[in-house]
Amino acid sequence: MKIRIRKKYLFYVLLILSAFIAAVTTSIDGIISYFYISNPWVFGVSVFLVGVFITLFLSLILSVPIGNNKSIGSVIDPSFRRIRFVKKEELKYHIMAGIGNTVSTLGYLYVVSKFVDPSAVLPFFQVVILYLLIVESLSEKDAPTLAETESSIIVTFGAIMTSISLSGEVNVMALLVIFLVMNPGWVLLAIYQRKLKLMKIGDTHNDSINIRLWNVIFTTVFTAVFVFIYNKDYFFEAINASFKFYPWLSLTMGVTFFSYVLYIRALGLGKASISQAVKASTIIFAIPLSLLLSHYMNFSFSASPTLLVIKLMGIILVVLGVATFALTEVRAYVFINAQGDKSIKELMDEIWGIRGVVAVSALAGKHDLIAKVRIRTLGKGYERIIRRLEGIEGIEKFMWQSILKEWEEI
Amino acid sequence: MGESMIKAYIMVLVYIGKLGEVLDKLRKIENIKSIAVTAGDYDIITKVSVETLEELMEVTDKIQLVGGIKRTTTSVIEKEIEL
Repeated sequence: MKIRIRKKYLFYVLLILSAFIAAVTTSIDGIISYFYISNPWVFGVSVFLVGVFITLFLSLILSVPIGNNKSIGSVIDPSFRRIRFVKKEELKYHIMAGIGNTVSTLGYLYVVSKFVDPSAVLPFFQVVILYLLIVESLSEKDAPTLAETESSIIVTFGAIMTSISLSGEVNVMALLVIFLVMNPGWVLLAIYQRKLKLMKIGDTHNDSINIRLWNVIFTTVFTAVFVFIYNKDYFFEAINASFKFYPWLSLTMGVTFFSYVLYIRALGLGKASISQAVKASTIIFAIPLSLLLSHYMNFSFSASPTLLVIKLMGIILVVLGVATFALTEVRAYVFINAQGDKSIKELMDEIWGIRGVVAVSALAGKHDLIAKVRIRTLGKGYERIIRRLEGIEGIEKFMWQSILKEWEEI
Repeated sequence: MGESMIKAYIMVLVYIGKLGEVLDKLRKIENIKSIAVTAGDYDIITKVSVETLEELMEVTDKIQLVGGIKRTTTSVIEKEIEL
């Protein structure tokens, strides 16, 4: 029997799992850079070099068929069949996502290599949620609603408060790199990975496993070339470190693989900004893991009461913001009958152009079209959907059916 | 191959008091991709995905045989745009 769960919860389950796994990898990275590879540039390149092999290995295992045209990987992403080469139509998106990941990674490496304690500035990476909101505001289809904007701001501030430290130096140059290099890079990565996920490959949606695999390959090539040009010694040191510390590097990239695969799958279900905001819950999971590390490995963990209060407030904000996303959503089907003086194809395109419409189907039967609508409030349903439908010529009548509860096959 | 080729919406009207029971049974039927409880002219809207018209008939049959269902209306999807 197949599993049917409520799709809106699937989105959050995927992202919170991804966030938890990401927190685990952050801790593993902390161990590696503390004990084994202290130079961030060397660490950055070696982790990707080993990452290509481990990602390829995991993708191959996930390609093992389990019958009925399915593979082990289809448990994680039902669109996945097997490992494959990049299709021509995907190539430019993969290059853009690879550049995005490279730029963001290099920005991060620069900040951690140049400043003694960047822990007071790195949390501003979370502002990337707001960057994504702005990018989505520019596109008619994904424009955020007021409730989404408010919740995103709440999560961003909460995430900054939760991850900030009192010890680090606030350096203008580091902040500039974060705001002008790291965050735009990540926006490119998120937006183009989402585009890739929403692409149809053959007659099914693109899968997150191949998207991750190829992103690692492109990012490794770009990062390795950059570091080779920037400092050849670091590059050769990284090759050395790849051989020397491959078990640790494989562990971190192997675990990261699953975090990304779940994140990319979620990108196919919801907006990039909201996905990013929910994934910001990583910083909540990171706190108990940092406590564990500080206990067992003598890592520093500030227990200043002021900081703890700030972190607690931050956690509350993140949880509130994420809960608001999850709980404020209205879905509906709109059944539409055409007058007959306009082609159904034209009507479909016009309805598809309405913000909030997530699917339009032309039907044979009692109704001519069904539009599926996803909005934040019923009021928006009137302003944004009904008034727009009333303005479209060629519609004879339409009928609104609010969805009270919904299950979808996963 | 193996990908479903025919998609359809099947709208369901349910006798009062039977909604929970009907939902439990619908959730066990293969090929139903989504089930939505709605407020309006229909009580439940399901989306099915099958490979042949005969399979569509089988799914419709299974739905109609569920006790508590008053009527079903099937609309085959000719074209679809979705996110």
